[in-house]
Parts: sequence; structure tokens; C-alpha cells
Amino acid sequence: MADLSTSVAGIRLENPLMLASGILDENGYTMLDVIANGAAAVVTKSIGLEERNGYSAPIIVEYGDSLINAVGLSNPGIDNFADEIRIAKKAGRPVIGSIFASDAESFTKLGMKMQEYGCDAVELNLSCPHVKGFGLEVGSDPDLVEEIVTELKSKIKVPVFAKLSPNVSDMIEIAKAAEKADAYVLINTVKAMKIDIRARSPILTNVYGGLSGPAIKPVGIRYVYEVKKETGKEIIGVGGITTYEDAIEYIMAGASAVQIGTALYTKGKSIFRDVASKMNTFMDDEGFSRIQDMVGVAIR
Amino acid sequence: MIKIVAEKVRDEAKNVRTIFFRWDQEVRAGQFIMVWLPGLGEIPMSLSYIGTPKAITVKAYGSVSQALVDMQPGQEFYIRGPYGNGFQIDPGRKLLIGGGSGMASLLPIADSETDAIISAKTKDELIFTDRFPENRIFIATDDGSAGFHGFPHELLDKLDVSVYRKIYVCGPEPMLYRVMQKLSDLNASAEFSLERTMKCGIGICDSCSVGGLQVCKQGPVFTIEQLRGNPEFGISRTTYSGKRVFLNMK
Ligand SMILES: Cc1cc2nc3c(=O)[nH]c(=O)nc-3n(C[C@H](O)[C@H](O)[C@H](O)COP(=O)(O)OP(=O)(O)OC[C@H]3O[C@@H](n4cnc5c(N)ncnc54)[C@H](O)[C@@H]3O)c2cc1C
Ligand SMILES: Cc1cc2nc3c(=O)[nH]c(=O)nc-3n(C[C@H](O)[C@H](O)[C@H](O)COP(=O)(O)O)c2cc1C
Ligand code: FES
Repeated sequence: MADLSTSVAGIRLENPLMLASGILDENGYTMLDVIANGAAAVVTKSIGLEERNGYSAPIIVEYGDSLINAVGLSNPGIDNFADEIRIAKKAGRPVIGSIFASDAESFTKLGMKMQEYGCDAVELNLSCPHVKGFGLEVGSDPDLVEEIVTELKSKIKVPVFAKLSPNVSDMIEIAKAAEKADAYVLINTVKAMKIDIRARSPILTNVYGGLSGPAIKPVGIRYVYEVKKETGKEIIGVGGITTYEDAIEYIMAGASAVQIGTALYTKGKSIFRDVASKMNTFMDDEGFSRIQDMVGVAIR
Repeated sequence: MIKIVAEKVRDEAKNVRTIFFRWDQEVRAGQFIMVWLPGLGEIPMSLSYIGTPKAITVKAYGSVSQALVDMQPGQEFYIRGPYGNGFQIDPGRKLLIGGGSGMASLLPIADSETDAIISAKTKDELIFTDRFPENRIFIATDDGSAGFHGFPHELLDKLDVSVYRKIYVCGPEPMLYRVMQKLSDLNASAEFSLERTMKCGIGICDSCSVGGLQVCKQGPVFTIEQLRGNPEFGISRTTYSGKRVFLNMK
């Protein structure tokens, strides 16, 4: 039996599969259930300083096995989120607090709160493609990204992950600006939209959304590969992982761990246990004894 | 999205309208659809008729449901679905317990062996009382303006529920919770259809969750066993922002 355990930024993971931010992670009891289904860690929904309703529905379009979403960073506000983390922490596995803001000071406030609530790491959402003033608008400005990461790293002890966007002209430049982070999370959704031709109208209330799921996997693989090759830093791969083959492909491209989001829509929560068990068989068949032995093996 | 044309409408009570339409799709009793009115919004609706034609029965709460209640034959709307698990219907004598618009998801279960408790705040809000023979129906209103004066769980004290093979319940969560407690004490076999804030309808946004279960995907129908001991049912839920609020039932 291969050893599926791995670690990212010093955080030990029972297997390389974590829950991605924004999918089944606003309610502590749901996070508990996702962990009970085999996720090694969960990333919370991105939380900001103030309560936000986000966009009104439709906030999601089904596009085959992929999705286009414009949830709009709905969240209860950091002060209302302590309980959810407390509940999720009962599982005894890492809980990573995802945060969004528009400046370094607010990111730092949020990061300190997440640490105080008991999060094992903080993930910076520098990449949401559909909310003005947040996410991508922050994450495409290298000076601002550097300021945010530097400031936050100087104030908190838990590791900091920088989640980057594929919707920028030069991801390597942004990755370098965020190099003080302990690991990168690649990628967030790809800006997209859907028009209903009978209604003659965009479906999403926000018009634009973010594409996720199998449709973006090749883009994610390419970024993980390129950023790993250029920076050598630890990476958490995310984007379209639906099968054990997808997860292994990300790991061979350079990811030390992966996150799964959209596939919960097609496969349900049991995907974590299923992918982990098939990864194990693959590793035995292919003669890999540890996850570490596969990380980046495809890089030329 | 699937384009639908309203074929016929029928007023059920003040601010409650059934919209009949054609949709060539197999649907189970208790399943729901997401209804989109471009420019206005999208909301979950149970199917109140699942054969040909199908129908939704809408009570006006806010802007989208009000626009549906105002809908006329020939007008269009868009849907996706069907979603959710639906009821597990067992043959034999059945009791339906519906509160307000909750009757909509129960109506497709009704057959010649079905009795119904139909409840509402007041007489004017009762729906579907004409769909059952008089000897099979029990009415309850909060204000006593029709039928039993009180809540469905109190009316249950007056019935012998042991004659029913299974009991199917849908309505506001405080009502479901009280009925669940009562039926638990009576050891009855029962299923409950829940309504919570719903945004995606496909099990990813977490806004509808109850104790780790997604109402849109693992529900909306849950057995009495699944709800007994659920850490959130009848206790707390999350709002549109994700903020936890308490129902103060206990
Ligand atoms: C599974 C299920 C089945 C249902 N079946 C039926 C049925 O058969 N018949 C029936 O009458 N009702 C049914 N309902 C209830 C129905 O969906 C609600 O009455 C409806 O959502 C009200 O929408 P509204 O926009 O008219 O009302 P509002 O009260 O104006 O808005 C409610 C909805 O608007 C959105 N919203 C609320 N606040 C905000 C905000 N601050 N910012 C942005 N968006 C917001 C949310 O989608 C919310 O659900 C069902 C609900 C569920 C979950
Ligand atoms: C409905 C939905 C909501 C999301 N919300 C967030 C979020 O709040 N913060 C964030 O960093 N990423 C968010 N994402 C992006 C995912 O975390 C992930 O990066 C992306 O979906 C690609 O992975 P996947 O194909 O496995 O879903 C969201 C994605 C979806 C589908
Ligand atoms: S409505 Fe999104 S998970 Fe149920």
C-alpha cells in the first residue's frame, strides 16, 4: 500500500485531497461532513470584513460537467464566522481560512482573525473574477499583491497560501510578487459567461461569472507546471479535478496537494474517498510509494 | 434553461396561483425546479402536478414569486431541473400534512387512500381543500377561522395515526419540527420535505444545508430518522449571506 499522506507548508495531510474554497464550506456542519467523506482538509468559503449577500440568483449555470458561477462573495462577515470554524475543527483535520479584501490592512485583519479562530493556514483570494474591487482586481496588481503578502506574513504565524488567477496577462509576475507566501494555490475560475438564446439574455444576474470544472483543467495543469518550473515553490493544484487521473496529473505537473470543488456537483461528496482509493491503486501499480515521489516528475 | 409557456392558470387562494404547463420530463413527487424570470431572478418551486400537464403552485412572497402569481396563459418562464430526491412513496394508507404553500409538493402523492391535514394561518390561505373528498380532509387554521383552531401537531392528538402506513409532511420548518417531535413519540413512519435558502439547487453553494445534508441534493425529502438528532433541523439555518440564525424552537 502506497503512503497517501503529504504536507504543504508544514501542514500534514492524510491524503493530498482538500475541499476548494466556495464549495460546500460556508456552514461548519457541512465542512464536518465533507471531512467525514474523506477530505484531508477543507478551505472555507472566502470571508470578508463585512456581511455580504452576494448576487441574487441565478448565481450558477450548468455547462455540461462544468459550471459558471457568480456567487458574488456572499459571506456572513468575519465576526460571524468563528462558530463555523469551531464546528469544522471538531473533525480534527486542518481547516484553512480563505479571505478576501481590497487592501493589505483589511487582509491582515482578516488573517489575524482566522488564526485566532484556530485555522491551520490562511488562503488569500487574489483571484475572484466577478466582483468589482476585490479578487482579480487586487490580484492583477503586482505591487498590491506584494504589499498584502508581506504585511500579512509579518503579522501571523500560520502559513499563508496565495490563490492566483488565470485571468491575468502574466501569472509568473504575480506569483513572484507573492513569493513570500508559503505556497501558491492555482487556479481560480476563468472569467466566462452564458447567454440563453431563447431568453436572449445572459443567465447570470451578474452577467459575467467564473468557469470551473473539467473545462478548465488543461489551463490549471499548464499554470501549475509553469509556476512550479519557474519558482520551485510548493503549489496546491485546483481546477477541474474529477478523477484520480486528474489529481495525479496535477501532482506530476508540480502540485504537492490538490483541491476539489466543482466535481462535488457531478460526483457528490464521496469523490474524496473514491479518488484517494484509486490513487492508491495507481501508485501501487506504477511503483510510487509516496506522494512526494510523484510531485513534478513530468517537468522537463 | 428550458423555455416554458404557461398554458393555464388557476387561483387557489389570495396570492396563490397554480400555473399549468407542458414539459416532457419524468418527475417524482417531491422534486423541485429552479424557475427563472429573466431580469427578475430565480427561485425554487416544487411541482404540484407531475403528469401532463405539470404545474407549480406559487404563493407570493417577494418580487419573483409575485411575478409568477401575476402570470397569464401564454407568458413564458425558464426552468432547470428536476432536482432533489422526491418522496419514497409506499403503497397503503397515507396521511399528508401540509402547511401553507407546502401543500404544493404533497399534492402529487394524493391517491384514493390518502387523507390530508391542510393548515394555514387563516381560512383565506388554505389551498387544495377542493382536491380531497370531505371525509378525507382535516383543516387547521392558526386563528380558528376554519376547521381546527390550532397547529397541525396539536390536531394530530385527535387522530389515530397508527392507521397510516406513512405520513408525508411539508411546510415551514417550525411546523415540521413540532410535527416531527409528535410523530417521533408516536413511532410513526414519516418523510418531511424541507425548504431552506436555495441558490444553486445542485449541491455546491451550501446555502440550503441542514446538519451537513444539502436540502437541494440529498433532500428536499428526509426521513424522520435523518432529522431526529440533526444538529440544525429546527434549531438554526444560514441566511442568504451565510450568516447563522437561530429558529428558537427549543
Ligand atoms: C425546495 C423548495 C420548494 C419550494 N416550493 C414552493 C412551492 O411549491 N410554492 C411556493 O409558493 N413556494 C415554494 N418555495 C418557497 C419559494 O422558493 C420562496 O417563496 C421564494 O424563493 C420567494 O422568492 P421571492 O423572490 O418571491 O421572495 P423574496 O422574499 O423577495 O426573496 C426570497 C429569495 O430571494 C433571494 N434573496 C433574499 N434576500 C436576498 C438579498 N438580500 N439579496 C439577494 N437575494 C436575496 C433568495 O433567493 C431568496 O430565497 C419552495 C422553496 C424550496 C426551497
Ligand atoms: C460556486 C463556486 C464558488 C466559489 N467560490 C470561491 C471563493 O469564495 N473563493 C475562492 O478562492 N474560490 C472560489 N471558487 C473557485 C474554486 O475554489 C476553484 O478555484 C475553482 O472552482 C476551480 O476548481 P474546480 O474546477 O475543482 O471547481 C468558487 C468556485 C465555485 C464553482
Ligand atoms: S442550494 Fe446550493 S447547495 Fe443547496
